[in-house]
Amino acid sequence: MSPANTPTHAGRSELFLLDAERTTWHDETLWFVRQKRDKAVYATPEFQALRQLASDIKDHTLSRLAEYLEQFEAAALANGVRVHWAADAAEHNRLVLDIVRAAGASRVVKSKSMLTEECHLNPHLLANGVEVIDSDLGERIIQLRDEAPSHVVLPAIHLKKEDVGETFWQHLGTEKGLTDPQQLTEAARQHLREKFLAAEVAISGVNFAIAETGSVVVCTNEGNADLAIGLARVHIACLGMEKLLPRLSDLAVFTRLLTRSATGQPITTFTSHFTKPLPGREMHVVIVDNGRSKQLGRPDFRASLKCIRCGACMNTCPVYRRSGGHSYDFTIPGPIGAILSPNIDMRKHASLPFASTLCGSCTDVCPVKIDIHAQLYKWRQVLAAEGMLPASKQWSMKLLSRVLARPALFKAGGAVARLGLRFVPHGLTHAPGYNPWAIARELPAAPKQSFRAWYAQQPDHV
Amino acid sequence: MSSSRAKIVAAVRASQPAPLPLPAVPEFTGPASVADFSAVLTAIGGRVVVLDGLPQLAEVLGQLFPANYLLASAMLPATLPVTSDTPIDRLAAVELAVLRAAFGVAENGTVWLPEANMLHRALPTITQHLVLVLDQRNLVATMHQAYAQVTDVGGYGMFLAGPSKTADIEQSLVIGAHGARSLTVLLH
Amino acid sequence: MKVALFVPCYVDQFYPQVAIAALQLLQKLGVRAAFPKQQTCCGQPMANSGCEQEARPVYHHFVDTFQDYDYVVGPAGSCVYHVRKHFDIIDQTPAVQHVRQATLELFDFITQVLGVTELPGAYPHKVGLHLSCHSQRGLHQANESELTPVRDGQLRRLLVKLGGLELTELDRNDECCGFGGTFCVSEAAISARMGQDRLADHLRHGTQVLTGGDMSCLMHLEGLVRRRQLPLRVRHAAEIFNEAFA
Repeated sequence: MSPANTPTHAGRSELFLLDAERTTWHDETLWFVRQKRDKAVYATPEFQALRQLASDIKDHTLSRLAEYLEQFEAAALANGVRVHWAADAAEHNRLVLDIVRAAGASRVVKSKSMLTEECHLNPHLLANGVEVIDSDLGERIIQLRDEAPSHVVLPAIHLKKEDVGETFWQHLGTEKGLTDPQQLTEAARQHLREKFLAAEVAISGVNFAIAETGSVVVCTNEGNADLAIGLARVHIACLGMEKLLPRLSDLAVFTRLLTRSATGQPITTFTSHFTKPLPGREMHVVIVDNGRSKQLGRPDFRASLKCIRCGACMNTCPVYRRSGGHSYDFTIPGPIGAILSPNIDMRKHASLPFASTLCGSCTDVCPVKIDIHAQLYKWRQVLAAEGMLPASKQWSMKLLSRVLARPALFKAGGAVARLGLRFVPHGLTHAPGYNPWAIARELPAAPKQSFRAWYAQQPDHV
Repeated sequence: MSSSRAKIVAAVRASQPAPLPLPAVPEFTGPASVADFSAVLTAIGGRVVVLDGLPQLAEVLGQLFPANYLLASAMLPATLPVTSDTPIDRLAAVELAVLRAAFGVAENGTVWLPEANMLHRALPTITQHLVLVLDQRNLVATMHQAYAQVTDVGGYGMFLAGPSKTADIEQSLVIGAHGARSLTVLLH
Repeated sequence: MKVALFVPCYVDQFYPQVAIAALQLLQKLGVRAAFPKQQTCCGQPMANSGCEQEARPVYHHFVDTFQDYDYVVGPAGSCVYHVRKHFDIIDQTPAVQHVRQATLELFDFITQVLGVTELPGAYPHKVGLHLSCHSQRGLHQANESELTPVRDGQLRRLLVKLGGLELTELDRNDECCGFGGTFCVSEAAISARMGQDRLADHLRHGTQVLTGGDMSCLMHLEGLVRRRQLPLRVRHAAEIFNEAFA
């Protein structure tokens, strides 16, 4: 039980859940996305075989990542692409700003990139006099609201159309009270079109980077990446180094899995391969580490780097659906976020691996077969060993261990608990202040006898 | 050669596990008829029209789109000629672009549009409406066959599956986000 | 065949009727299970809290208690799953290996070892089946909706064969109930909400008796039922089959 102002997932979730109706709406919206995924999966007989192939291709790639990174760089350089390496977020931001400045530019249009969110690129550019417009509709909405995305694929999933209408009225001059998604999208299209036409630099993320050809692949439904990159003189592709794939042909497996897992569509509208800049233009790739090599070195957790950012784990997670992405307080929320974040800041994110019942649904939907729920369990052990659990919890677990290893103590403890339940007043046993079980539930009715006492009385007991 | 590069590559080398094998990907195949392709593309918001031969192109376009649309194309007389040098404000005026697609994929209704067929890299997304002309003999079943067809990925190329769309506002599907508002595939 | 009954700690203390039902059901199937009285717990609460190292003595005690039995049968998928999967951190002596693979969930034992595919009797009620995550995704006792639309599983098959029993169909076949061990108190708000949503799904579809193979899930759901005085009875599947089996 956490007060709402403590920096834990539980505290933030409590706040989210205060609006029960909105929680229902959020939960049902994301469950609907899960169901669309299910339909696509059921309709693809080889889906499980594809998952295994994707998992194996990623495992292979991560086991030879240094080699593939070098191969990618060589191919990209031969194509006239400039390749940069950023050890951390700060260096990434510095490099991107340098490229923008060297191009004499001050107007940037960005398509969706969780990596640039992770590095907090936008504030850095803005602080240095560069205008940066997020062109993905969901991202633009939250940019105008000064919020973080709450989902890796559906950044504005936590917002209702009334919220969007309000934001567009404030910032784009649309009619007050307009909530029709078609009209709101049209307004955004017109507004962003001006930005595309005036952009000097296009920044994109990378869904897949192909070592064989030096290409970066960007998947969108809106076409915003293609439009921005097609018009701007300079393209900067920000690449998390775990996004590498060996060959162009490997994309067949991943393009068949990604969107079906994410939204239930058979493929994104645009699957675009950027390999060479046009004469007179520039293409840059910034390869980013920012903790990835560290995670790679953790045998129990390196499989988390296989992630292709589909969001299926979030859509299926009963906890995520009822607490929202912001309750995780990490760029990537949900189950995958809970196994990536402790690598970045163990203390800050100590509550995330515990924000789960270990139901295992996430593992079942992951297109690259990351053993998410097993990693959540393992992170809990690491956090406990590193002293990241609250002191009271550590102490009570040591006590529990002593009781559970000694039958006599166990028997006595159980008897005391049952006696207490039967004779201590309900108001005390169920006081929400110290018994969080009892906030919403009754404790079990206390039986007169434990099973072992009953068994001992049976005449023919073995 | 930056020091970050050396640092990163060294860190990766030190952290990566012992090599694991690259699996062999089977030849997943499936139906690849005009009917299969059309059904999927229509379901995802695209439109499919079968021509009675390529010479029918201009006539069918006349039936589908207003005659006064500013048209960019290499396949028939254009009212707005487009090349890689066309300035942005001209490009932005294109209402209809008619381009040749290389092949289509039946499992997901996508088509491969290589840069060589685009006239200008931004044309497929800046135009209000996009028409892709496709030889119906060039249909494959799955993405596995599709990538086998892409022998040269070129400088830029896209798989395009239907019109631009978004569901970012309360999961309501809206067709025509930033790219073309409509996508029509003319099969011949 | 020497069979021991493994009774989860909370069942021993708070739901003895479930263990009694399991014992009697086995007896009716010709198995006299013993109850080694020095048993305590499988250690899962501690391990799930991150303290599996502290749970080692508990694991050793479990192995010592049960090592001389051919089968260790427990009416609790989650505890059984923990023994089979997570006792891998202690030294894998022959005794440890034996106990890990010999520990079976009650209905796995009945169907796989005893080869029983149908239990006799009638239970003329509308029954809602709660699939516990550990039993379903851990012990593979039922199909997962993430993989297939076909709703099938061991308990479902046994239940539908009881006379007069009508199994209700839920909107969400296998969403977690929200118990999750210490999660139920460390994330009390979400836990309650998840449980309430499961109960609402059951009530929407006419469930009168809520059942399953894991008393941990059922204890949490029953707590919510009793607090809100919902028209549902909660019974462990062992109780249902034992009652039906004249």
